[in-house]
Amino acid sequence: MTCREMDTVIESRSGDSTLPPEASRHVAECEGCRLLVIAFNKGNNGLDPSPDRLKRIQTAMVESLRPVRPLASSRVYLLAFTLISLAVVVLGSFLLGMSGWDALSKVQRTIVFTALTASAILLAVSVVRQMAPGGKHSLSPRLLPIGILALLILVIAAVFRVRHESAFVPDGLACLRTGLTYSIPAAFLFSLLLSGGAIVYPKLIGAAAGGFAGLIGLSVLEVQCPNLNEYHILVWHWGVILPCSIGGLSLGAAVEYIRRRGSHRNSRI
Amino acid sequence: MQLEARPSAFPDADLEHLMARYQQADPAAVAALVERLSPQLYRFFAGQLGSKADAEDMLQDTWLRIHRVRHTYRAGDPVLPWVYTIARRVRVDNYRKRYRISSREMGVDVLPECPVHNGETNMLRSFEELVAALPESQREVVIMLQVDGLSLEETARVTSSTTGAVKQKAHRAFERLRSLLEGVPKGPERTLAAQSASKGVTQ
Repeated sequence: MTCREMDTVIESRSGDSTLPPEASRHVAECEGCRLLVIAFNKGNNGLDPSPDRLKRIQTAMVESLRPVRPLASSRVYLLAFTLISLAVVVLGSFLLGMSGWDALSKVQRTIVFTALTASAILLAVSVVRQMAPGGKHSLSPRLLPIGILALLILVIAAVFRVRHESAFVPDGLACLRTGLTYSIPAAFLFSLLLSGGAIVYPKLIGAAAGGFAGLIGLSVLEVQCPNLNEYHILVWHWGVILPCSIGGLSLGAAVEYIRRRGSHRNSRI
Repeated sequence: MQLEARPSAFPDADLEHLMARYQQADPAAVAALVERLSPQLYRFFAGQLGSKADAEDMLQDTWLRIHRVRHTYRAGDPVLPWVYTIARRVRVDNYRKRYRISSREMGVDVLPECPVHNGETNMLRSFEELVAALPESQREVVIMLQVDGLSLEETARVTSSTTGAVKQKAHRAFERLRSLLEGVPKGPERTLAAQSASKGVTQ
């Protein structure tokens, strides 16, 4: 057995406190592992809080005890996110037309909308799992939004080519405005959904939810805008996500600040 | 060689049941949860702060925050990651608050009293001193795994991370602790370690 394998034995939690024979043999031979096991055994002793303090905590909690309705399941929230997203994209397509969809080749359409759908699903799952503390994450919720933004840049750069555009800024600003027009109501609806949870990392969840709303705006633009210039899409379409994420982050920071102030006021027993 | 029994071997199903009753405003469930989880949470804070008073304050803050957000617990989810995520957030907020206060503080004539380590804390102190040498992220993983007895998956949930990332942090921490322990010169600590080892190792 190696020290690395011994790490796995130490990490694993087992009701049986005896080390397996192979681990015992290794510990007997390896000074570092032996001292490590001894140190951890010393750290496992019992220190307990004062009974008075526990009594006061219990009393304070019982005094303000009321029944509460638990958060709905993740599936319900995911369904709500999906319905809002679809509703906004369909409404945008209905009101603005589908010139962008028609202008895209079959390959471009498949790649772009697959990337957008996959990104939206991953972000939605991550946001919903962050709503309740201690949720399980198969991808780091901190790195996921950054990864998605980078992936979309790569997809846009790979799928589209640079084309001449006479009115880069005016056309672009119009697209940015359109994107934000659809992202902001989506963001508002998402914030209503999230208001019941998101208590641990409001900034992180705010940025992710803002990014998700930005993705909705980007999707509307991809359906509506026939401009296939790579720079136009990178700057003005993809650019919708940035202000939305920053807005979400700011809102999350404000929520965190307000909650912190409230918690300091209420922390006296 | 034996690893001592971990104090946190709660049957999680019971905790889930207690949480459900707590959400339905059962006072007995409140008492049971506070009684059962507080020692673990207390060790979580004491292991990183070293001060009993601060650990008790944070324990209190944690329970009050748990009380305010008890609706965010979903029936059937594991309780320990939910509780520890909130406790971890309390610790971070407290750390920031202290940092803000200390950055505004001026020097005073009266020096703060040194913490007195009584017999009860002596055993933990050496463990604390050891893990104090670790970076923050590794230290909290080691404490959750070794003091609070959380599993890798539970620790990953608490730190909003993946099991692989927790495993890697734990491995790096163990490597560092090994090198620190092996570098300890002959002295009381070494003698104590040797005595404990001779008692614990069964050959």
